[in-house]
Amino acid sequence: MAKPPIITVTGGKGGTGKTLIAVNLTTMFKNEGKKVLLIDGDVENPNTNLLLGLELKNKTPVMFFKPVIIKEKCSKCGLCAQNCATNALLWVKDSYPIPFLSLCSGCKLCYKICPEDAIKEDKKILGWIYEAQKDNIDLLVGELKPSEARSASVVEALLEKLNTTLENEPEKYDVVILDTAPGAHCDVELLLGQADKIIPVTEPTKFGKLDLERIIQLIKLLNKDYKAIVNRSSLLGFKDEFLQELAEQNIEILGDIPLDDEIVQSYCQGIPLMDDSGKFDTNGAGYQAFLKIFDNLKIWMEDHKMQEVKK
Amino acid sequence: MTIIALPTMGGGGINSNVSPRFGRCQSFTFVTVEDGEIQKVKTVPNSAANAMGGAGIQAAQIVGNNGATEVICGFLGPNASQGLSSLNLKIYQIPNQQLTVKQAIDMYLKGELQEISQANVGAHYGMGGGGRGMGGGMGRRRF
Repeated sequence: MAKPPIITVTGGKGGTGKTLIAVNLTTMFKNEGKKVLLIDGDVENPNTNLLLGLELKNKTPVMFFKPVIIKEKCSKCGLCAQNCATNALLWVKDSYPIPFLSLCSGCKLCYKICPEDAIKEDKKILGWIYEAQKDNIDLLVGELKPSEARSASVVEALLEKLNTTLENEPEKYDVVILDTAPGAHCDVELLLGQADKIIPVTEPTKFGKLDLERIIQLIKLLNKDYKAIVNRSSLLGFKDEFLQELAEQNIEILGDIPLDDEIVQSYCQGIPLMDDSGKFDTNGAGYQAFLKIFDNLKIWMEDHKMQEVKK
Repeated sequence: MTIIALPTMGGGGINSNVSPRFGRCQSFTFVTVEDGEIQKVKTVPNSAANAMGGAGIQAAQIVGNNGATEVICGFLGPNASQGLSSLNLKIYQIPNQQLTVKQAIDMYLKGELQEISQANVGAHYGMGGGGRGMGGGMGRRRF
């Protein structure tokens, strides 16, 4: 059975409108009667639910390995500390090893190699996964517990949930949309790795361009198909120059979105611009731009399908 | 008898300079002091100097494994500080100037060094290229 196409919305720079675009693409698919799964993988600042005006439910903790030394069994041999790649165990002759959880990568090597079975596998809460649902949209949101560092593990938990669903019910969704954090680090890489199509979102500034180039480097390393969106394209009149620069670097775009007060309003109210709410002008510049982008996206996805069939 | 550990530059020794960095110093010099006199000096290379992460923990381990009960250092990061505290070591801070091991021990014996109980700089302090400065790059841990 055919699995749904996975589209990852990313962008390198923060605040370019990744979530705005992920949410509105989701909404436009929903408007066509498609069943959509949207995953918010920006686990350090999850907020997709706000833009969709949804309340998060089914809070489930994401657990992470935590070594506990059983003193009654420990022979103080130090083998665990000597082999810990991240130096998360401190051991001094004739004393028990002391775990430093903030450094622990969760590899469980200590637990596996302890000759006395003196390390117990315990768990700590690293973050949470939430669900929300509205019409034909299912939302999955990951949240990293503040002060924890291993955000990628929360992203992995989200993807595990996605892949389990795709295995068990491949036809449950018509399309899956993944929204990433800013940056080009491992959280983002995990979500790009799952994608059939990648949409990096940028803005016509020097910062936007620099971060777009960085994220494209990562996309190319992963050998994935991508087309950019230029958001706030009417910003201070840099659009033409910016589009020219992208063209010179052979960066294709799906379209651009001009500055539009209605987008700001939809953002502040938590009602997607492209929702059939009747609140926004369907002839507005932002609305029309989104429609055009959606058309281009569908054409791009069709091309992809054709190529898949040819293969 | 007290064994004092000092992070040192180069191979270490009584006349070498105290390293401002703890976890990533090049060597440790262990000075045995008894009745206000230096009895013995031993040096150990710091195998944690180039660790990817957790250098402070590993360095604390080297200090502990060589029998030290007190530490004299310059800057101390959070991992090293936690590591040393978990071993119940006393930590003394030298003033922000270049001192040899001998000079630092003299100040210690005169009671001129301040005892500290926690880190005085953030993680990876002093890892920047060139002079002493905030190290960039590795502060945010992502794996």
